[in-house]
Amino acid sequence: MRGPDVPWYLAVAAFLFATGALGVLLRRSPLIVLLSLEIMLNGANLALIAFSRLHGESSGQIFALAVMAVAASEVVVGLGLIVAIARKRLDLDVDKLSILRG
Amino acid sequence: MIPRPHVDWFALAPELVLLGAMAFALMGAVLLPRENRRDFGALAAALGFAGAFVYAIVVYVHTPDVHSVIADSVRRDRFGALAQVIVCGAGLLTVGVSYAERMRDEHIAEYYAVLAAAGGGMCFLVTANNLMTLFLGLEWFSISLYILCAIDRELEGSLEAGLKYLIIGGFGSAVLLFGSALVYGATGELAFNRISAAIGDQHLSGDALLVAGLAMIIVGLGFKASAAPFHMWTPDVYEGAPTPVTGFMAAATKTAALVLTLRVLREAFPQEAHLWTIALAAIACASLLIGNLAALVQRSVKRMLAYSSISHAGFMLIPIAANNAIGARALLYYLIPYSAMSVGAFAVVAARERELAAPVTLDNLAGMGWERPLLGVAMGTFMFGFAGLPPTGGFVGKFYAFSAAYRHGWTWLVIVGVVATAVSLYYYLAVVRAMYMRPAAELQLSPTPVAGGAPPRDALLQTSVLLALGATVASFVAVEPLIHVAKHAASALPF
Repeated sequence: MRGPDVPWYLAVAAFLFATGALGVLLRRSPLIVLLSLEIMLNGANLALIAFSRLHGESSGQIFALAVMAVAASEVVVGLGLIVAIARKRLDLDVDKLSILRG
Repeated sequence: MIPRPHVDWFALAPELVLLGAMAFALMGAVLLPRENRRDFGALAAALGFAGAFVYAIVVYVHTPDVHSVIADSVRRDRFGALAQVIVCGAGLLTVGVSYAERMRDEHIAEYYAVLAAAGGGMCFLVTANNLMTLFLGLEWFSISLYILCAIDRELEGSLEAGLKYLIIGGFGSAVLLFGSALVYGATGELAFNRISAAIGDQHLSGDALLVAGLAMIIVGLGFKASAAPFHMWTPDVYEGAPTPVTGFMAAATKTAALVLTLRVLREAFPQEAHLWTIALAAIACASLLIGNLAALVQRSVKRMLAYSSISHAGFMLIPIAANNAIGARALLYYLIPYSAMSVGAFAVVAARERELAAPVTLDNLAGMGWERPLLGVAMGTFMFGFAGLPPTGGFVGKFYAFSAAYRHGWTWLVIVGVVATAVSLYYYLAVVRAMYMRPAAELQLSPTPVAGGAPPRDALLQTSVLLALGATVASFVAVEPLIHVAKHAASALPF
């Protein structure tokens, strides 16, 4: 096998996932939060593909393809919501989304 | 030539019927004149849920033993079929509750299409048999629910609820997905039964990768079932979403998520039971504590019911944590009255909301029991049921859940549950008190007069409430046959 070994891919996958998770938790713009969600999903995808290579078995790669389709549809809904909110001239800041509080 | 797996269409019938209903409603939304869209969409969704309900019963009757179908990706058994029956019943009632909701007129048929799609996703999820179908089913109904929460675009609260749910739900899904990847890495398998076989063959029990993956899967499912400490989205989303949608989420999402939790833990990770039983017991205790304490101080009825749904997630995690056959039986039985009570209680809130044109609080529930006798009696019964008092299925359900924990040897968990039940009496009975026992001066038919007077009687909503009331009481009266059904369903799991 050419290129780096599977553990390196796993390290990158974990790093991507952690970056995404931190982004969701810390960033305020809904656009960046959506982006971070995608990074989390892609980190998981990379892990799936690396493990699929490690085990020499293809179901992980098929899983990753399905995840890409799902991630795309999630982003469509998320962007649609963000556009609808922007049209209503709400602040694009998740901390200011606070009509609903108890 | 790639070999194609044999597809058992019959096992997929409930999902396919709901998908068909979705397609019909969507076509109606485009092709029909505007004034017919509402009726057509509602009819399509109602027929879809009714058809799926009947098909799920037929699958239940014709599946005495367990099959893995479609290359082991879907499980056809009575366990999944019973959960599908519950989900479809909740969906059918929700259609009736939604019909008169003041949602925007131009996208009303799409609402029913997405509702049917969400139901289909849940029906698919409860039969999932590998990590991929699990993730796909979860996202299928979650994305539908994000749209449903935000469908009332005129209301800022609705959009905000949709976005919050999307972000936190997406986070939960991503955690679950990464956990699935780790489990796949540790075992090299995706199907539940092969994961458990691989753990046994390769002596992987306690493997770091596997345990980390299992923990992340539990966290992801905790987000979906709104169990503490993964519950923070629940009150906001439940309050902001249109009330019929909230009822559907409380009933059907919880059913799907909890049933799947039991299935995946029991079928894929039986060797790790010593870990996940403790984890689930801790999550159950946290949910009971946080749900009950926060519900005590709520004035808004929707928020109170949201916290009550968190504490019920705790109650229903107790039988799962017990990890025995009686626990599986208790969970399936409890979900029947719980779903009926959730849809029914939110339906009553929706009716009150419509006649007041304002959010429902404990204050403006005053006198409702006398003004609207049917809704008042129904709401009182649902509150008794949530609190676990007879004559409702909630009483038997809690009793069974506690006996499962007792059988497991966890008397302390039973004590926690009983204390939580005692605390919950306070806020459930506060609703009954507000409806019936306020002084006459506080009685108010409509404090802020709505233009055009009181809304017309909503026969469909009242029918749905009556059906929910019937299911709540019937599950107490007909305990024996229902437990029998749940017992057959639970026997599909390897205990």
